[in-house]
Amino acid sequence: MKRIISELCTIVSVATFAAAQSITGAASTDLLPAVQSIAEGRKAISDLPKEYAGYNLLATALVRRAEETSDVSFYDQAEEALKKSLALSPDNFETEKIHVSVLLDEHEYPTALESAKALNKRALDDVTVYGLLTDANVALGNYKDAEDSAQWMLNLRRGNRPAFIRAAHLRELFGDAEGAYEMMDLAFQLTSPTETEERASILTQMGHFRLASGNPEAAEKLLQQALAAFPGHHAALGNLAQVRITQKRYAEAVVLLQQRYQVVPRAENLYDLAEALQLAGRDGEAKRAFADFETKSLPESSKKDNSNHELTFYYADHAQQSAKALKVAQQEYAWRHDVYTLDAYAWALHVNGQDAEARKQIETALAVGIRDAKIFAHAGEIALKLGDRAAAQNYLQEAVSLHTVGSEHAQLVLAQLSSPREHR
Amino acid sequence: MKNLKSIAALAMSLFMLAPSSLFASSHREAPITALDRTADVTDWYAFVSYDNPNNVTMILNVDPLLEPSNGPNYFPFDDNVIYQMLVDNNQSGIPSVAFQFRFHTEIRQPDLPVGLVGGIAGIPPITALNGKGSGGLSLRQTYTVTMLKLTNGKVTSSTVLNAGKTLYAVPTNVGPKTMPNYPELFAQGINHLGNDVTVFAGTVDDPFFIDLGATFDSVNYRGVRGSPGDPVLTAAVDADNTHNYAPDSVGGFNVNSIVLEVPITMLTVDGQLHGANTVQAVIGTYGRTARPEVTVRRSPNALQNFGPLQQVNREGNSLINELIIGTGFKDRFSEDFPVNDSQFANFVLNPVLAGVLSRAGIPVAPNPRTDLLLLVQYMPPICPACKAANAGPVADFLRLNTGIPPTPVGSQKRLGFIAGDVAGYPNGRRPIDDVVDISLRAVEGILVDSTKFGLALGDGVNTKTEGFNNSFPYVLPANSGRESDHIGPGQAGCTGLTDGICPE
Repeated sequence: MKRIISELCTIVSVATFAAAQSITGAASTDLLPAVQSIAEGRKAISDLPKEYAGYNLLATALVRRAEETSDVSFYDQAEEALKKSLALSPDNFETEKIHVSVLLDEHEYPTALESAKALNKRALDDVTVYGLLTDANVALGNYKDAEDSAQWMLNLRRGNRPAFIRAAHLRELFGDAEGAYEMMDLAFQLTSPTETEERASILTQMGHFRLASGNPEAAEKLLQQALAAFPGHHAALGNLAQVRITQKRYAEAVVLLQQRYQVVPRAENLYDLAEALQLAGRDGEAKRAFADFETKSLPESSKKDNSNHELTFYYADHAQQSAKALKVAQQEYAWRHDVYTLDAYAWALHVNGQDAEARKQIETALAVGIRDAKIFAHAGEIALKLGDRAAAQNYLQEAVSLHTVGSEHAQLVLAQLSSPREHR
Repeated sequence: MKNLKSIAALAMSLFMLAPSSLFASSHREAPITALDRTADVTDWYAFVSYDNPNNVTMILNVDPLLEPSNGPNYFPFDDNVIYQMLVDNNQSGIPSVAFQFRFHTEIRQPDLPVGLVGGIAGIPPITALNGKGSGGLSLRQTYTVTMLKLTNGKVTSSTVLNAGKTLYAVPTNVGPKTMPNYPELFAQGINHLGNDVTVFAGTVDDPFFIDLGATFDSVNYRGVRGSPGDPVLTAAVDADNTHNYAPDSVGGFNVNSIVLEVPITMLTVDGQLHGANTVQAVIGTYGRTARPEVTVRRSPNALQNFGPLQQVNREGNSLINELIIGTGFKDRFSEDFPVNDSQFANFVLNPVLAGVLSRAGIPVAPNPRTDLLLLVQYMPPICPACKAANAGPVADFLRLNTGIPPTPVGSQKRLGFIAGDVAGYPNGRRPIDDVVDISLRAVEGILVDSTKFGLALGDGVNTKTEGFNNSFPYVLPANSGRESDHIGPGQAGCTGLTDGICPE
């Protein structure tokens, strides 16, 4: 989910950049938005090769295309376009902003944060830069700084959509899925019917928040709307699969996740598919999918744009290779402390018997306020391992009460905890 | 010829470096307030009351350049904006006293197509704000005044100063048929609240004066020395406190004004009067507007999503945001608290405008401009008793030494402190103070060395076309909508006067 939010922010940011530089293009309207924008960018460069604006337009379109396809070569092309733009107009503020958005998309969060801070010093009023600061700080787990930046976005331009989206994301992280939904709904109201991809992305988020609030029926309606607006929207497919999992309709979840993987063949999407296959009882296919996932995930593990959270859980929960799990988790923890990294790190510590440290890390994550059934379940199991039955019970009950993905597993652990045999 | 080139360079430089916001006092100075005019603080004044050295008068003007004839709804205050006057009395940079004004609009005759009507269709002329004679005031506004005491920015006590008394805002002056005795309506807007507190709110003649047109034409002043564009005044023009040599672009326009006069003892840190040579006599003041804030975190209160007040605009010194702060920083400056102003200190120490003046051939004091810090810190000469320890953080307050008695009307000088009238700007600000010329000269460097950096820079607008009101509420009644005009040198209506100089 964290990735989807990041993508949503990117889509809206990129759309904002693109709108700001829009030209009357001659591209076909049959094309996907990003492909169309790429054509527009190339035409702008062709028409005015000495103007930087065309290169910026092309770069933003390429970033969007990278998101659509998961093909990182588009980032390289975007970087190249930005270099040309900066050669024509050194230190151009708009170009520098796009560059930071590319860094964010490449998950180069520390560099993106430093660059965004420098831009913020150049123009304290620029709302887009506060968005870039928010995104980088969220990714790194600097939530106080992220909240400050998002609040400035809200204050400096009242009623601006990118601010609502960031605030919604933060509200979810702070444990307020209902408030997150309200904020995202404000963003939706500001989105034109012609912005089909943006509408689909926002509806997907609204569906996700409904699912997180334990309302899969409402979530499904929103996600179906998203898919109607933008057929094959990968994040909508992924969230609808989550709805199906909570409904125990595992076979349908598998189909949806297969569709998503076809659209965006990223390693983490393969991991979700493998887990769904396992839930569906298709163990052979699941095993192969997990193996494929490991093969795909390992080469990117040392890069910033990786699937290390999933790789950690794969080694911890499916491959029974706890040492590898901890190594991967430590690698990620070394540079970012967001709640999902802390959760993965804590779980890796737990499977390696380091439960005291595991508890410290998972409680740090929960202190942010996040209400995630999987994280609560992990906290419960860690507390149980440490012999703190009361805390374990509380955490597990929190997980169960959310009625979402992860709740069922927590229910099982809680049942064992409450059984007479366990009491003995 | 050389001078012409210099002026052209100045104009172009200003155009390039500081588009669209120079000098306009604080009218629409930041992008955000250009979009939110009812929350736009145009000017902030604070001075020891002319007729009572034990009182301070503060004027918060908002909503710029109101054309008097612009019906049918004219210019109500915004019910959703909280208007505040704030006072730092302990050199902390954080206000300890605040006065808060909230307005409420009622539409008393919903079927009427206009908000203000009289002398027609059986509706008598508007002669009163309430009761008999007020029937034509269909759109009527009441307001409350609350005094807050704060410790470290947190409210520790709150007192409604108008308890038991309904306060009415004075509407604009529609014209003689609707409002046959507007000065009387204006007078009805003056409210004595007890404890020597007096308040007024309403639409009034905008007391600010400036040649906006020449200023926005990239500082293309009228050139009273004979060269068009020349920003230097002759000695005679400079010494003239009562005539204009260029159009007062704000002349004839109205503004919404809140005026509050309170005893100095309500403002000082210990509730006492102090002599000019004490730290306790000096206060830092500013006016601001705020709206309810949409917050990242939902507020626990009933109004979901909405949390504390978010400042929209503020003003301490009249031209800091306009002359000093970079365009890409103005919104943040407007919305941030004065105590955080050190982030903008570099703009004060290295003012862009000084460089522009220098490139135009005008001698300016070298950077860093520590002389300008007296505008944003507690320092002599405004605070003669202040040592380094009393300077406080860099904070854009309008500082006022309450121990300095008011200069009698008639002896006041438009150039205030720099002309020896120590009760004038930047020791507080009175309506008569010509902050445009004073600020130009401050940036030039007159506080460093008046012999080296003391050219008489100015826009040629030395006074207010409509004159001044020298007693509470220190603003003049609103200009008439029906008789609306904007007369100044070079404009019709002024041409018959000697040398086209206005007013007579």
